[in-house]
Amino acid sequence: MPYNIAMVSDFFFPQPGGVESHIYQLSTKLIDRGHKIIIITHAYKGRTGVRYLTNGLKVYHVPFLVIYRESTFPTVFSFFPIFRNIVLREEIEIVHGHASLSSFCHEAILHARTMGLRTVFTDHSLFGFADAGSILTNKLLKFTLSDVDHVICVSHTCKENTVLRASLDPLMVSVIPNAVVAENFAPLGYHKTGSNGALGVYPGAISPPPPRPLGPNDIITIVVISRLFYNKGTDLLIAAIPRILAGDPNVRFIIAGSGPKAIDLEQMLERRVLQDKVELLGPVRHEEVRDVMVRGHIYLHPSLTEAFGTVIVEAASCGLYVVCTRVGGIPEVLPQHMTKFAKPEEDDIVAETGKAIASLRANKVRTERFHDQVKMMYSWTNVAERTERVYDGITGALSEEDFYGDNSGNSWSATRGRAGVQSFALIDRLKRYYGCGVWAGKLFCLCVIIDYLILKFLEVWAPRADIDIAKSWPKKQTHVIRVEDEEADEPGPLKSTSVRSFRDYALRRDKRP
Amino acid sequence: MNRYAVPAEPISIQDVHTSPPLVPSKPFADSSRLAPGNAFFPPPPPRLHAEAETIARTVSEAPTAGSSSYDRRRKRDKDRGRSGSRRGKGEWKKLLWVKQPKYPDNYTDPPTFLSHLQRNPRLQPYDFWPLVADSTVIVQHLASVTIFVCCFVGINREQFSPVSMVSLGSAGTILGWVLWDFWVGQSEAAKMTSRSAITNALDLRNEEPDYRSNRKPDLDHSRPASRSGETSGLGLTLVPSDPAHKHHYQSTDHLFMSPISSELSSASSTTNPQPVASFSTSMSPSPGYQSPTNILSQRNQQRLTTMKSAVLIYCVLHGLSPILKSLTKSTSPDSIWALSTILMCINILFFDYGGGVGVKFPASLSTNAALMSSTVLASRLPSTTHVFSLTLFSIEVFGLFPVFRRHLRHVSWRGHLVLTLFLVLGAGGVSGITLSKNGGWQAMILGMLFWSVGAALGMGGCSWWLIGLQRYKNVVVGPWDPARPVIRGGGWE
Repeated sequence: MPYNIAMVSDFFFPQPGGVESHIYQLSTKLIDRGHKIIIITHAYKGRTGVRYLTNGLKVYHVPFLVIYRESTFPTVFSFFPIFRNIVLREEIEIVHGHASLSSFCHEAILHARTMGLRTVFTDHSLFGFADAGSILTNKLLKFTLSDVDHVICVSHTCKENTVLRASLDPLMVSVIPNAVVAENFAPLGYHKTGSNGALGVYPGAISPPPPRPLGPNDIITIVVISRLFYNKGTDLLIAAIPRILAGDPNVRFIIAGSGPKAIDLEQMLERRVLQDKVELLGPVRHEEVRDVMVRGHIYLHPSLTEAFGTVIVEAASCGLYVVCTRVGGIPEVLPQHMTKFAKPEEDDIVAETGKAIASLRANKVRTERFHDQVKMMYSWTNVAERTERVYDGITGALSEEDFYGDNSGNSWSATRGRAGVQSFALIDRLKRYYGCGVWAGKLFCLCVIIDYLILKFLEVWAPRADIDIAKSWPKKQTHVIRVEDEEADEPGPLKSTSVRSFRDYALRRDKRP
Repeated sequence: MNRYAVPAEPISIQDVHTSPPLVPSKPFADSSRLAPGNAFFPPPPPRLHAEAETIARTVSEAPTAGSSSYDRRRKRDKDRGRSGSRRGKGEWKKLLWVKQPKYPDNYTDPPTFLSHLQRNPRLQPYDFWPLVADSTVIVQHLASVTIFVCCFVGINREQFSPVSMVSLGSAGTILGWVLWDFWVGQSEAAKMTSRSAITNALDLRNEEPDYRSNRKPDLDHSRPASRSGETSGLGLTLVPSDPAHKHHYQSTDHLFMSPISSELSSASSTTNPQPVASFSTSMSPSPGYQSPTNILSQRNQQRLTTMKSAVLIYCVLHGLSPILKSLTKSTSPDSIWALSTILMCINILFFDYGGGVGVKFPASLSTNAALMSSTVLASRLPSTTHVFSLTLFSIEVFGLFPVFRRHLRHVSWRGHLVLTLFLVLGAGGVSGITLSKNGGWQAMILGMLFWSVGAALGMGGCSWWLIGLQRYKNVVVGPWDPARPVIRGGGWE
């Protein structure tokens, strides 16, 4: 059963990033499955109005005040009129918000519930409970998620975190990991024939590329691609690099990325005179990441906190042996034979990297197989399927027992209505918000009531009948879809710029009266 | 599928597929474990016996507590990410790369869900008497501020003679300085002996000329600390009391100058600050690697500079007093009282109560607020002598006295207690005199009584209150928190 879905987030292209590509990939895969997707984000510099991306993915760039790192200013109500207009125009049934730092997403979920729509929220990040910023964000999250139909988290650790932060029923939270477009992260010399085999047709017929045996004196290159921030563990990296290099003379580093810690890194290199062993590439674009990765043998990821860590999956897909810190959701992401886990300590990182180098030199790790294995583990098609199941569950297409399991009689699932879906009645919603806290509960209730009144006012001021229904992008013929499916995952939007801009241009010309 | 049968990882996707489904029918019966419901039900009321248990355990395990908790933590860390492989076939695994179609995405596994959550992991239960003992520092400062304010009121009302007050204060300051000088000498001697012992043992003498030759005179204020750290970083950890010595050692040249010169510069901001600067640079020959024979002359040199700066402060204050006197002539008294009250509150709130002896510039905001407050107050006084006395007194009370108090607490706990008692009684006496109409000795005794009782009740009550509040502490720590990187610190030099 196809749905009309609106993805709402502050973060979307042209800004690069994990959340952005998640939204884009998920949307295109859901479109392939027959749903209608629109994306609502704020206007970026040079990106305003309505845009179409590949596959008829429609993006609304709503003009809004941006305050900090592309997050919009949290005004609780001012987004409502235009949001209602878009939702009615596009006949949206499900509103899917992304990223807990996006106030756009929070507002959209609140208004969508007021308008009687189903809502889903995807959390991409981990937050602590101690500092002031986290406390504020957590309260805001609690407000929004008091009345949401379902929450999706990218890892089990992220689920635990979100359940604690927003006081959710754990059954309301699904874990659907990120994925990678494995075709974009193929190792060097990888033959396309392997990709057909990986679809599961003839598993025995795969011919993996010939393994590259490493002698004891061959150069081993360690790749690091990360923004150089404190929480990405750059300090650990700076401390570990000289010791790793001192431990083995035939090791080189390639470091890509920029950030406030870049100066520290450069200073260390100058002090130690390591410029000939460590190559700094500066910031690289996402589509260049693969070309950097395939130059190395080991990927080092010293992050201090990570909800999922897409980059280590990408690295493994490129056939790199991964050395990473055991933090956040990282231990869940890759199997043991692809990774070496270290504690977030300088000594341990040096030791584990040394072990990784040793086992690569001993040819104990079959890195040439990683690509096919990763391809079987993570795919956006799978993510889209699982997300679709969530949509089925919250709209009631899936029975409550199927969706929530058998133990619905337990006391801790009382937040759901009897039908397995959340009731839209204002009084029920108020009950949910009221429990948020002594003062916060009352404040939230006030906000919800005002939101409801605004809706009533808008119904009079801009009646539904006056809003035109937008035409959907023409659905493809069935045979076309089959061809699409057989093709590999589509390249990212940045790669298909020429095609897209041509389409954009053609479309705009069509729309002109 | 066989490709997944890698020796390091016994589970395979095949196993998960074929295993029978496990429906989570078991409710969360185990009460000792955190159930998911705990996330959104209010936490159970604070349990006193649990707290007592924690305390008891901490006490009994005191010597090994650190290592055992570390071991436990390490074990838990190892379990993470591998928990799946340890458990039986077909069970749910907390892994993302395994496809587990038998379990829905929103499946919550009771044994593993939130199993890494910790509550109050670094809780240190307070004890009553140590808390009370620590609060003496606050009482001391409150008492000295009270004494100062009461002295001002007394001078203003012409109850006390300003000259006698400032002579008393100066006598006390000189006494304190002599004591302090004695302590510094002692600690330095101890430092020297231990240092020469090390030097002889490890024969590092040949490195000394290096240090001397590339030492830059203008960098010296920051150098000694880093150099001594370096020395201990060379593996000279065989001296257990090294950090303490380092503290003393730093204090010899920094504490010595900093209060006086900073006071001078802040008090005489209208004059040319050049002499101060020249002072601090003339101080710079650091005692870092002097031979023991050299030290006496060095100390004498320091004493001389202290005298010089004391005389300088005295003269500058004398010169400034007429200006200060007319500073706030056009301002109404009300705003002066309000301003000085606020500044005194800033002084009390931002004072560095926890600072050790090695602190270079202890809470400059606090000190400056106090000095400004006293300047403003002094400008209300009738004559130049009054102004001079009060300003000098404030420098003594707010600039130099805290240094002495800090040192005294470090050197002798008994002396610290005695000083506290004296300060409390003094504050009580002076406030009794100023608050009463005629200021007889009865008022003084009454004030002392009130202050003693109040201080005792306040210290005891606040400590008890804090201990009571501690049971509401609820820190939640889990794998989502950013890890604290452990860096050995060798990466820079």
